[in-house]
Amino acid sequence: MSRGPLLLALLMLGMPVQAIESGPDPVPSVMWEFYRKQWIKDDPYLFDARVRVIAPPFAEDARQVPLQIDARDVPGKVRRIIAWAELNPLPTIVDFEPGPQVLPWLAIRIRIEQATALRAAVQTDDGVWHVGSALIDAAGGGCTAPSVVRSQPDWEQRLGQVLGGRYPRDGFSRVRVHVAHPMDNGLVGGTPEFFIEQAELFDVAGHSLATLVLYPAVSENPSLSFDLRDTGPVRLRLRDNNGNQFDAALE
Amino acid sequence: MRWIVLLLAAISLPSLADLDYHLVPRQIAADTWMLEGSTENFSRSNGANIVNSAFIVTESGVVVIDSGPSLRYGQALRQAIARVTDKPVVQVLLTHHHPDHALGNQAFSDVPIGALAGTGVRLKEQGDALAENLYRLVGDWMRGTQVLLPNQVIEPGTQVFGSHPLRLLAFSGHSGADLAVFDEKTGVLFAGDLLFYQRALTTPHSPGLEVWLQDLQQLKGLPWKLLVPGHGPTANDAAPFEQMVDYLGWLDGLLHDSALQGLEMNEVLATPIPTRFAGISLTQYELTRTVSHLYPQYERDVLRRVDR
Repeated sequence: MSRGPLLLALLMLGMPVQAIESGPDPVPSVMWEFYRKQWIKDDPYLFDARVRVIAPPFAEDARQVPLQIDARDVPGKVRRIIAWAELNPLPTIVDFEPGPQVLPWLAIRIRIEQATALRAAVQTDDGVWHVGSALIDAAGGGCTAPSVVRSQPDWEQRLGQVLGGRYPRDGFSRVRVHVAHPMDNGLVGGTPEFFIEQAELFDVAGHSLATLVLYPAVSENPSLSFDLRDTGPVRLRLRDNNGNQFDAALE
Repeated sequence: MRWIVLLLAAISLPSLADLDYHLVPRQIAADTWMLEGSTENFSRSNGANIVNSAFIVTESGVVVIDSGPSLRYGQALRQAIARVTDKPVVQVLLTHHHPDHALGNQAFSDVPIGALAGTGVRLKEQGDALAENLYRLVGDWMRGTQVLLPNQVIEPGTQVFGSHPLRLLAFSGHSGADLAVFDEKTGVLFAGDLLFYQRALTTPHSPGLEVWLQDLQQLKGLPWKLLVPGHGPTANDAAPFEQMVDYLGWLDGLLHDSALQGLEMNEVLATPIPTRFAGISLTQYELTRTVSHLYPQYERDVLRRVDR
């Protein structure tokens, strides 16, 4: 019996996967396959310059590196954005699920341990991952440097304080927050992991607008910015791995 | 086989003999000489010679202003001085603690090395990290360089060397502890890094741009005849002051307005630099650094408490 028709049928089932050409990796990386297996697995993906991963060419302060992820030009609805710094000891930065009212855009500050590729894998509703990349140079040491927060007197009193602002834009509205938290990543001697791991945005009716899972690559005193289609008031709820909950409201 | 190894070694080893700063002192006033560094960034080709150092040959010996970025530079500076005069070096004055100005100290270990008290404190705290970073940036030029702390605290006031009364002035706008030296005999003002000219100013330890602007107002009021900036060419007119005030004002306004508009750091970095600053080297590079150093404070000034 010929196996031709069966093979053909299997190939056709696999067509959506086969039809995606991932293209060349735009940055030199020895770790790509490792992270692809971790996050993208066998889903279809492509390296996509429409996912803009924006960072300075070098890290002036490896403990506070500004990272901006902009997937607004990716066609289709963005379901999920995962970002990581490839050569970090703790590489994962954020797992972001923007709802329909939140633009696929995020700004956050991170720690890097050395010069590295930065990636943002953006999954659209069709299941395809669009991978944006950037390179950043660094003197290094951002992940293992002693906490600046913990060296300040009375830092516990300020734990969970949120500074925020709301900024009108053309057709949308920006929410910015700075949260007082040491975000201990467990790599500094004698200090166990203590970091904010969940953030969620709600509208006034209590409907969830977006969720974020934060990882210890996020800088201490985390800084987060979102762009919302709506200009109405929002609430932000943060939770750390010790069970502390912090709430903020932005008009 | 062995010849291949030797050949490879010969090709790959950088020749230390090539690491020559070629320091040539240029006379800028009576008894006064300057070694002008480039306005480039630190690199393996310039060995961190991006800085201006200077010396005054007085009747009672040579006063050196800043020792440079490395042991090798300090030694070359000392040799350059010896080609100009047979008088001994009697005093080193450090304008501030930054590595390009103070890591040549080892070559002057037999001489009083004076600095403001705050400079000594900062060099002790940050010196090793600053030196490590220079090793990373310029490599072999740094070989043997270690932090040597100043051994003399400079108090503001006038100190006389031979016929040169030197007015020693304490400021803080650039690094937190900045010494300016005004030679009352020649009218030369050694401004250290309070003054950059044709080279973008750096802000890693600045207490704030408004502090720096106040320092510049005071410096400008001195009866100087020649300005020696920490980086960039000398001037006998106020052009360096005008450029600094213009640039600092632009920076301050940019950071303030950006924070008010809720811009992210990367958006601030994407702001075009005004064309009137086109002649200043490294503006984009230094803007990247300055945003990292100073923008968080501007942000905190405009954000408000929103936790419930």
